[in-house]
Amino acid sequence: MLTQFKYAVEYVLGLDHAGRHFTVFPDDTFLVSYPKSGNTWVRFLLANLIYPNESVGFANINRLLPAPGVLSKRFLRKLPRPRILKSHEPFDVRFRKVIYLVRDPRDVAVSEYYFDLKKRYIEPDVTLEQFVKRFVAGETSSYGSWWEHAASWIAARHTNPAFLLVRYEDLLSDPIGETGKIAEFLGIPATPERLGTAVQKSSADRMRKLEKQQADQWTGTRKTRKEIPFVRAAASGGWKESLPRHSVEEIEVAWAPLLNFLRYPLHTPELDNKTVPAWVRTGEPL
Amino acid sequence: MIKHLIAGVKRGLGLHMPGRSLLIVPDDIFLVSFPKSGNTWIRFLLANLRFPEQPATWANIDRLIPDPTGTTKRDFDRMPRPRIIKSHECFDPRYPRVVYVVRDPRDVVVSQYHYHRKIRKIADDSPIETFVTRFLAGETCPHGSWGQNIATWLYTSEGDPRFLLLRYEDLVANTARELAKVVSFLHLSAGPEQIAQAVERSSADRMRKLEKTQTDKNGLMRGSRKDLSFVRAAGSGGWRSDLPVPLVARMEAAWGPLMRHLGYELSMPSPSKTRDSDSLGILSGSTPR
Repeated sequence: MLTQFKYAVEYVLGLDHAGRHFTVFPDDTFLVSYPKSGNTWVRFLLANLIYPNESVGFANINRLLPAPGVLSKRFLRKLPRPRILKSHEPFDVRFRKVIYLVRDPRDVAVSEYYFDLKKRYIEPDVTLEQFVKRFVAGETSSYGSWWEHAASWIAARHTNPAFLLVRYEDLLSDPIGETGKIAEFLGIPATPERLGTAVQKSSADRMRKLEKQQADQWTGTRKTRKEIPFVRAAASGGWKESLPRHSVEEIEVAWAPLLNFLRYPLHTPELDNKTVPAWVRTGEPL
Repeated sequence: MIKHLIAGVKRGLGLHMPGRSLLIVPDDIFLVSFPKSGNTWIRFLLANLRFPEQPATWANIDRLIPDPTGTTKRDFDRMPRPRIIKSHECFDPRYPRVVYVVRDPRDVVVSQYHYHRKIRKIADDSPIETFVTRFLAGETCPHGSWGQNIATWLYTSEGDPRFLLLRYEDLVANTARELAKVVSFLHLSAGPEQIAQAVERSSADRMRKLEKTQTDKNGLMRGSRKDLSFVRAAGSGGWRSDLPVPLVARMEAAWGPLMRHLGYELSMPSPSKTRDSDSLGILSGSTPR
């Protein structure tokens, strides 16, 4: 009862957390991804690109590239428009313009495992193999499984011109080129120099340094185990070393069609012919 | 500001509609469909099955099979569990168990057109061509386009033991058989007699009769035009006479593969390109961008 009353007061004052219940404007752009898919890196890239004179860090990233999940409705309402917002939501029809960042789920699994250890979401004695079982079942995240997340967005939007699909791996191999594509999608004028500076200021090394200084000033790292870093490998293909063979197979058997569709080469060759069915195209008519 | 304050007080008392902030519990069951796909009929069927002691009416349906946008939080909290909850939302990973009802989009568009005339969302003489254009673009309701709504559910959940897909047309053809599927999916204890009783109590005739006296007791039609009824044809295939051929063609062009996958026969010769499962371009090596 008391919590309900507190919520009512916060609601009247606009101080309740926005979560997924905030007002979405038609000119909003959303940077959407499954957790642990490079979202924070891209937030740094975009913030550095858009605010070249700010010293972008963990301390101010929630303000520069806001995450509705941890901000109040009032704060979100007062932002200058058009807004660019971070999100981990599975398909949300209200999001008209979307940058969808996707990452190889075999790497996502490893990354999420260490993040959940860092956050103490899982006990320290949980093994990676145990974790992957729950990861595949969609039990490790409130945003659904990796499959559900990617499938819902791709099924609903992938032919839509207001939907930009970005692979984390492409961003790693050609950060300037891919950031350029995002800038163009957002209508941000960006010279190669500006792009280069933004990429440099958002490098893994620099982010690691900032993390050391500002871990207590950011919701993502506050009160977490400091011996496990937030910015970890910042690479692709790490699963080949760290993921047990059995876990790799589990992921591939469950999700082969989308892995193939997204050009993530499979370790299990007999799954190569699994494809996304033809009807996964809902046609907002083009 | 005053409005906002009243909304705040309502929240304090639990008298607001929870909408998307509904607290979902692990034994919840969701009855999901795109609007105008038989959702209300199936709510009646399930309500009559689950609560045989109080026949479903337009006045009590929001408390028997609640709607997050039409039932207060307080009523939600007081419901016997497991709750069966109505929804039109696109895919939501938080829904623990889902009965998804799909209906031929060519019938859905006709039904929604008439419903929007009834609730005065569009003018009486508004051309159906315009409506179809908006329908295809997903602009006639806040739940995505027909194709988006079904595709997000189907592609994420088809084959999952927690997901049951029903076709409205099968429900019309053999209501008892389809309802039995729901009974076994939800592990309800209901024999053939109870199923038959639920079917009887949810007939289009009975729903029409109730509608005449209870129109203003239900949020779906409160204040709407009385000369048009909510329960309309309650059949399938009406599009063949109601929907001009060029509009049928546009719908089939937009959603052909999806419709075929669901067993809806196309009336237009389909372009040979879209026949095979791998011919839509989405699978070719070059995509994604």
